[in-house]
This record gives sequence, structure tokens and C-alpha cells, in this order.
Amino acid sequence: MGVESFTFDAAGMSCVVPSPDGDREIFRDIDFVVDGGEIVDLIGPSGSGKSSLLTAFARLNSHASGTLALAGRDSSEFTPQQWRRMVAYLPQKPILPGYTVADAIRLPWTLAVRGDGDGTSNGTRGLSRLFRSNDARAREALPDARIRKTLDAMGCEDIDLMRPPHDLSGGQAARVSLARTLLTNPKVLLADEVDAGLDDDNAEKVASIMVHAAADGMAIVRIRHRPPDGRAHRIATLADGRLTMRVAHGDGGSAEDSVKEAA
Amino acid sequence: MTGNSYNIDIWGLVVALTMVAVAAGISELMRINIGKTLLWSACRALLQLCAMGFVVGYVIRANNMWLVFAVIAVMLVAAVQITLSRAKGVPKGLAGPVLLSLTITMLLMIALVTELVVRPHPWYAPQLVVPLTGMLLGNTVSALAVGLSRFYESMDERRDEIDTMLALGASAWEAARPSIVSSIRLGLLPTTATLASCGIVTIPGMMAGQVIAGGDPINAAKYQFVVFAAIAALTLVADSLIMAMVYRTCFTADDQYRPPAER
Repeated sequence: MGVESFTFDAAGMSCVVPSPDGDREIFRDIDFVVDGGEIVDLIGPSGSGKSSLLTAFARLNSHASGTLALAGRDSSEFTPQQWRRMVAYLPQKPILPGYTVADAIRLPWTLAVRGDGDGTSNGTRGLSRLFRSNDARAREALPDARIRKTLDAMGCEDIDLMRPPHDLSGGQAARVSLARTLLTNPKVLLADEVDAGLDDDNAEKVASIMVHAAADGMAIVRIRHRPPDGRAHRIATLADGRLTMRVAHGDGGSAEDSVKEAA
Repeated sequence: MTGNSYNIDIWGLVVALTMVAVAAGISELMRINIGKTLLWSACRALLQLCAMGFVVGYVIRANNMWLVFAVIAVMLVAAVQITLSRAKGVPKGLAGPVLLSLTITMLLMIALVTELVVRPHPWYAPQLVVPLTGMLLGNTVSALAVGLSRFYESMDERRDEIDTMLALGASAWEAARPSIVSSIRLGLLPTTATLASCGIVTIPGMMAGQVIAGGDPINAAKYQFVVFAAIAALTLVADSLIMAMVYRTCFTADDQYRPPAER
């Protein structure tokens, strides 16, 4: 993973949700920029459209409009799948389908968008690959041993890969879901309140995993309701359909006034 | 029809209706309150079957190709209407895909069963084509109704999973595939169950009919098998076709999930 600098650029983002009694405007004409290696916190009252903004960035929001670009290339140059592979939205609710945790983590590699090698798959190209099931291909691209190593590196030694995902605690499920998206190595990670409902210990683990990813060059946008943890470089506030941005002053320096705004 | 057949006279019908009436009366005494519906349905069935008998009789005697296809066209239109009225929770505007998938399966059946296996003279032999179409439509209509209901129900249940899969780069087809598989399986369940149990616990209707009418039981068994095999294969074809045609109604053009209210 080379550390190349790039910029994620969103301009003129608007979101209008149709409803029986007239269209409801969530936000209008928002510009947003984040660079690789940077962590930006997105805060604001609930219902202000923070999730809508992040899903719009990932082209997952059918009510949103605006122009998106990554490293100077417009989003229209990519299929939705290619775009979402680079700009990954991580939903608040961890959804882990499959019989084991390992299966759940391999889900992205069963998809066609990662079918022809992204550096993670090794060898056996050609005809034989066509006739193998996607599960086998995913197993080859991401063997259990590699998942284990990555999870351990993220401080998830407590998670057994062979357990059914259903048995995981809330904190473990949140970390597995985060690990899955991080393993896909997106350029931009849009984390939708991933630490909500976690105890301080787990929230701390999740935060430090993201700091590591950012150090490797990933751009990260976090929706947060917790008090600032000093990890963000900038803090964006979405309220009344408008976005205001300010620089976070070092470690917890702006803790007090940020709490006020988040409340 | 060779051999001796036993006719049912008008009194036979009266006895049959009386049986239903007695059963209905008993159900009223037991306060099951199904008597009225039972009696009404029985009368309707008698009228519909007699009408069908007259129509088929007329078509067979007329032995006219255009008349055969006119009857089949009417059956197709009725089948579409019944499918859509039985399928619950499906969006509007599915009449076209349903008609198309029923028509294709019907044409396949005429081509394969009639022209390849039985090879009657004339090739459009109404005595063969009309009842075969009826049996095929009866099966595919219920398979399509069950399959469509299950598909949309499953897509709504799996909403979070679909959003997660799309965020991880799944195409619309990949995100819908689990729902498609489960709905096709459910739609085919009665067909496979009939195939497995026939000849052991049941004598299927068509074979029973031929035997009662004095036909050779072995010949009747052969006919029954061909028809069962065709119905099983073509039900799968019809179900797959309809799924391929309608799964996109759950997605926007940009491969985003489209909630039921907006379909």
C-alpha cells in the first residue's frame, strides 16, 4: 500500500427527500473536501442529514445530487461498483451474513468488482477461475490466516473466526464490520457512527484502528456523537442544511466547545 | 379414447353437489363458518368446468389452428391476471414481464412436448395443445405468484444486508441474488414435491383421468411423466425469466436500493 496523496472532492451536494406533503430538503449545495491520511469528524444534531451526506458520497443515496471526484477524476468515469470500492460507506449497523465470521469478512471478495485481482489475489488466472465458485475464489484471495493476521494487528485477538457472527458481542461485531471494510483497502472510508452503542474500551479500539488506517494514507470521515477523542484533524458540523468546517486543535484542545456543539 | 369409459349423468353432478352441501351444512353446525364459501366455490367450479368443457369440445370439433391460438391467448391473459392478483406486495406494472415469461414458457412447451415428443397430426391438435397449456399455466401461475411475493418480501427483509452489500461494491444482481434464489426455490417446492410423491401415494390427475376414461395405464403413465417433466423444467424457466426481468425494480439506475414506496 503506497502512500500517495489524493483528494476526495464533493461539490454542490444537495439532498431532497420526496414526501406526501411536499419535498423535504435535507441539505443544499454543500462542498466538502478530504485528503488522504486525514480524519474528519462529521457532527451535528440527529436528523440533520449526516448519514444522507455520507451515503451521497458513496453514490448510495438516490435522493442526493452533486459532483464527486477522487484524485481529480469525476465519479461519472466509474461504475457505481468501482466508485464504492474506492469510496466505502460503512453503515452503523454491522451486517455480517454467512455461517462464520471468516465468511462474513470474505463477503466483499465474492463480488464481481473484485473478481479480477486487485493485488490481493494470487495466481491461477484463466479458464479454471471461471468455473470455480465465488466462495472458493474469495477463500483464495483472502485465506483465513491472512484474516487472522490482520485482525490481530487491529487488536481483535478476542474474535474467533470460526464462530457464527451471531455470537459476537456488539463491540466485536462493530470491529469485524470495520475490519472487513478496511481489508478492502478503500481510498476513502465513510464511517457512520461506528462507535455508537459501544463501551469506552471498544470505542477506543475502533478509533485507534482508524488512526492506523489513516496513517497508511486512507481518508476517513467519521460521524460521531461521542465527545471528541482528539483523533480528528478537522471537525465538520452539519446543521440546518449547512456545513461548517473548523480545524481541531491538537489532542482534545477543543474538547469543551466541541461537546457543546455536538450536544 | 379407446376401451370402456363410464359416463357421469346429471344425477351424478347432483350427488356431488349434495356432498358439498352436506359438508357445508355440517361446517355451519360446527361454527367453522366456511360453508357458504365452500358451496359458492363448488357451484362456480361446476360452471367454469362445464364452460371449459364446452369450449374445448367446440375447439376440438372445429379443429382450426387460429381458434386454438385464440383460446390459448385468452388463457394467457387470464393467467397474468390471476398471477398478479395472487402475488402480494408486488409493484405495479408487472403485467408485461409476467405475460412475456408465461408466453415464452408456453411456446417452449408446445415446441418441445407437442412437436418433439408427441408429434400429433395436425401439429396444432387442439385435443393435446389446449389441455397441456392449461396444466402448464396452472403450475406456472402459482409458482410465479409465490416466487414474486417471496422475492419482494425478501428484498424488504434484507434491506440492511442489501445496503451493506451495495456499499461493499456489489452489483444489483449480486445484492438481489439471495432473494432470487430463495424465491425460485420456494416457487418450485410444490413441483418437486409432486414429482417425488407421485406414483407412491398419489395417482396424478392427468393419469387418473386417462385411466378412468379407459386408457392404457402404462400409456397414461408415460404421458403423465412427460407432462410432469415439462412442467418442472418450464416452471423453473418461467421463474428464472420473471426474476431476471423484475429484480431491477428494487434498484435505481445507479444501483441503489429502491424502497417499496418508490417502486
